[in-house]
Amino acid sequence: MTSLMGNQSRGETIGYSFSEPTSANVKQHSFYPYTDNGGSTLGITGSDFAILAGDTRSTSGYNINSRMVPKVFRIGGDDETGEGAQVLLSVVGFAADGNALKEKLDTMVKMYKYKHGKPMSVSACAQRLSTILYEKRFFPYYVHAILAGLDEEGVGALYSYDPVGSYEREQCRAAGAASSLIMPFLDNQVNFKNQYIPGSGAGHALEAVKAEPLPKDTVKQLVRDAFTSAVERHIEVGDGLQMMIITKEGIEEVFIPLKQD
Amino acid sequence: MDKLVAQYSRTHHHNEMYSEQEQEDFNSSVPPLSLKFSLPPVDNRAAFLRAMTDDHSNPSCPIKLAHGTTTLAFRFQGGIIVCTDSRATAGNWIASQTVKKVIPVSRLSRGEDKKSNEPTPGLLGTMAGGAADCQYWLRYLSQQCTLHEIRHKRRITVAAASKILANLTYAYKGYGLSMGTMLAGMTPSEGPALYYIDSDGTRLPGNLFCVGSGQTFAYGVLDAEYRYDLSEEEALALGRRAILAAMHRDAYSGGFINLYHVKEEGWVHHGFDDMNPEFWKTKLEKGEFSNVTSTL
Amino acid sequence: MPGFDFSNYNRNAALHARGVPLPKATSTGTTIVGCVYDKGVVIAADTRATSGPIVADKNCEKLHYIAPKIWCAGAGTAADTEFTTALISSNVELHSLSTGRDPRVITCMTMLKQHLFRYQGHIGAYLVVAGVDPTGTGLYTVHAHGSTDKLPYVTMGSGSLAAMSVFESTWKPDLDRQGAIDICAEAIKAGIFNDLGSGSNVDVCVIEKDQPTQLLRNYMKPNERPQKERNYRFARGTTAWLDQRVISKEDMKKYVTIETLSGNDDLATGDSMEVDT
Repeated sequence: MTSLMGNQSRGETIGYSFSEPTSANVKQHSFYPYTDNGGSTLGITGSDFAILAGDTRSTSGYNINSRMVPKVFRIGGDDETGEGAQVLLSVVGFAADGNALKEKLDTMVKMYKYKHGKPMSVSACAQRLSTILYEKRFFPYYVHAILAGLDEEGVGALYSYDPVGSYEREQCRAAGAASSLIMPFLDNQVNFKNQYIPGSGAGHALEAVKAEPLPKDTVKQLVRDAFTSAVERHIEVGDGLQMMIITKEGIEEVFIPLKQD
Repeated sequence: MDKLVAQYSRTHHHNEMYSEQEQEDFNSSVPPLSLKFSLPPVDNRAAFLRAMTDDHSNPSCPIKLAHGTTTLAFRFQGGIIVCTDSRATAGNWIASQTVKKVIPVSRLSRGEDKKSNEPTPGLLGTMAGGAADCQYWLRYLSQQCTLHEIRHKRRITVAAASKILANLTYAYKGYGLSMGTMLAGMTPSEGPALYYIDSDGTRLPGNLFCVGSGQTFAYGVLDAEYRYDLSEEEALALGRRAILAAMHRDAYSGGFINLYHVKEEGWVHHGFDDMNPEFWKTKLEKGEFSNVTSTL
Repeated sequence: MPGFDFSNYNRNAALHARGVPLPKATSTGTTIVGCVYDKGVVIAADTRATSGPIVADKNCEKLHYIAPKIWCAGAGTAADTEFTTALISSNVELHSLSTGRDPRVITCMTMLKQHLFRYQGHIGAYLVVAGVDPTGTGLYTVHAHGSTDKLPYVTMGSGSLAAMSVFESTWKPDLDRQGAIDICAEAIKAGIFNDLGSGSNVDVCVIEKDQPTQLLRNYMKPNERPQKERNYRFARGTTAWLDQRVISKEDMKKYVTIETLSGNDDLATGDSMEVDT
């Protein structure tokens, strides 16, 4: 990582605010280091588990790079299979940045364990991921990350991030290409948004359906339906569904085929 | 000469993987917060960042950052009211409706585990502009405030805390940070104190501020009803009402009303309430928002 | 005045210069192919229509009628292929009526290229024209700018490279009818699976001398949606409402004429929608 900070290059005019036009007295070939590799991820939590899922297609433009590139990773495992990991990370967007981010967080979590003799808590890992992302505030990782695990009470924990590290704990989150297709579905089916209890009152007295943690089997079904539906309507999503379920028993990984067109 | 030899006697793969600096970072138990950022290898970095992340000038920019909106804080005889909405947008997309835009800037405990009714000592910061910028730098400020407390055995003043932040944003002027934040707190030497700090390096003390895309709507309500001698209930209701007005009229504001009261003993949380029932209650019980009809 | 209306051209150019994005046309990021065989010609297409990365239509028709023995497969802007083929179809019909002969494929292709050339590529229609006429079988490609090609097997659209790889590796001269259908379907499938702009089903059209033309709609369905895991039917009363007003049939009759259809009338049925039960 090169730090160019104390090294003001000549001819640079620092823009005052975003609305001002750029004064480009140095012509430079446009620097475009990002590619969108498509794909979508989603995470849902329950009272004693968390699920992270993603499709396994990698695209660039109208081409498929690969039909089997996992987007969900075990973080801080004991060996290269990820055995013993207690945190899951999903990254979607630019795959190279995503991979770099995963490797970095994985190393951090492992170092923490070797130094302190205990695994990193999910909340600590979540904060650490935020600072990792923010370190590249001026040259961002082009990714949407979701982190999942179990918190100190054993309750499913899910943290979602923007590309530069703002984060929030949530019940559910969809990211990536088809996030705008999946997220409204999740709002409705997981948090019961726009659903009211029939006959609970007339007009304004109508009572909203209360959101409560869903059982694991229901969540698994919702994840599959979210992806089979996203595949129908988004061209960058397909090929395979990778689902990782973290419980106190450990991490279960499932692969389910999706449509390949 | 030794230096030269050393330079060429390194193994080839020395520079592969992580640099020495990075390996040190991995090993240090405390993550390095602040002042070490990687930068793109281009001449005009501000322009690069703008091209990649500014969805206002370039709607099809590849990286859409989450932005926060409509926050207010005002001083009155009973302390300071801090109130915000909870919506985060990335372009036209509502990224979240449940953002906590009031960030406790206090001791090591950020007050997240405290019961809501007992006052928690410390300052409050608000979040408008880039969500990550606000979260990160307010956390950095918490760190500095805690260090101050340990070094000097007394709590930091709001004036000093706000100056740390303002100096910081001024140092990064032109890099493309985007934040408009208010710091509210009460210390024995200052009484209730409120400061506005933004990414241009501005730092203003004041009685009343609204920040964000919905600020004008909030100012409208606040300026009409604001008095310094407001009672506690009146002040809380006014903060709520002003944010509600902004959430109603500004598309980039919405979600939940997040209300805080800063008192001598510390801050108190007064709820994170869905705007929708709040809106209908205001309309039907008080007869306000008569522009909205509920009958055909 | 017939033809195109340019009255908003200057306004839209000014708006665009100020950063207002152009509205997105539904484009058929497509795979279309054609192949001649001993007695005729086969054309085939996928059935996906996209708008950016979103699938706008999962089962659209990209094979267009020109004349009973001349058909066209279209790629590019959906509306342009639709209207250009319809226009040329009318003109071909008029031409054949005035000459009293069956229309020729080359006539049709010439009319298309002259029309498209005049609009300098602004009409985004990329076509495969195929048919049988008294001179024999014809198979052409027409590009939006007006250039054409005459080949024994052709592919077009975003999946053209995937489809062409099938032809280049397996095509041989003197194919029979089924052989031509098979190779075309295989080429379309290559597009469906390897090109993101193409998907869903395979449509095939077989045109043969002394045989009625066969449009084999959804000849292959290699991408059927799996059964949903859950049922998403909501209980009645789930959606909140503020107020209701019932407008009786009597009130309606003040403004419109109402005719009641009998329950099992064929007139009342349309395409059935996919509904959860």
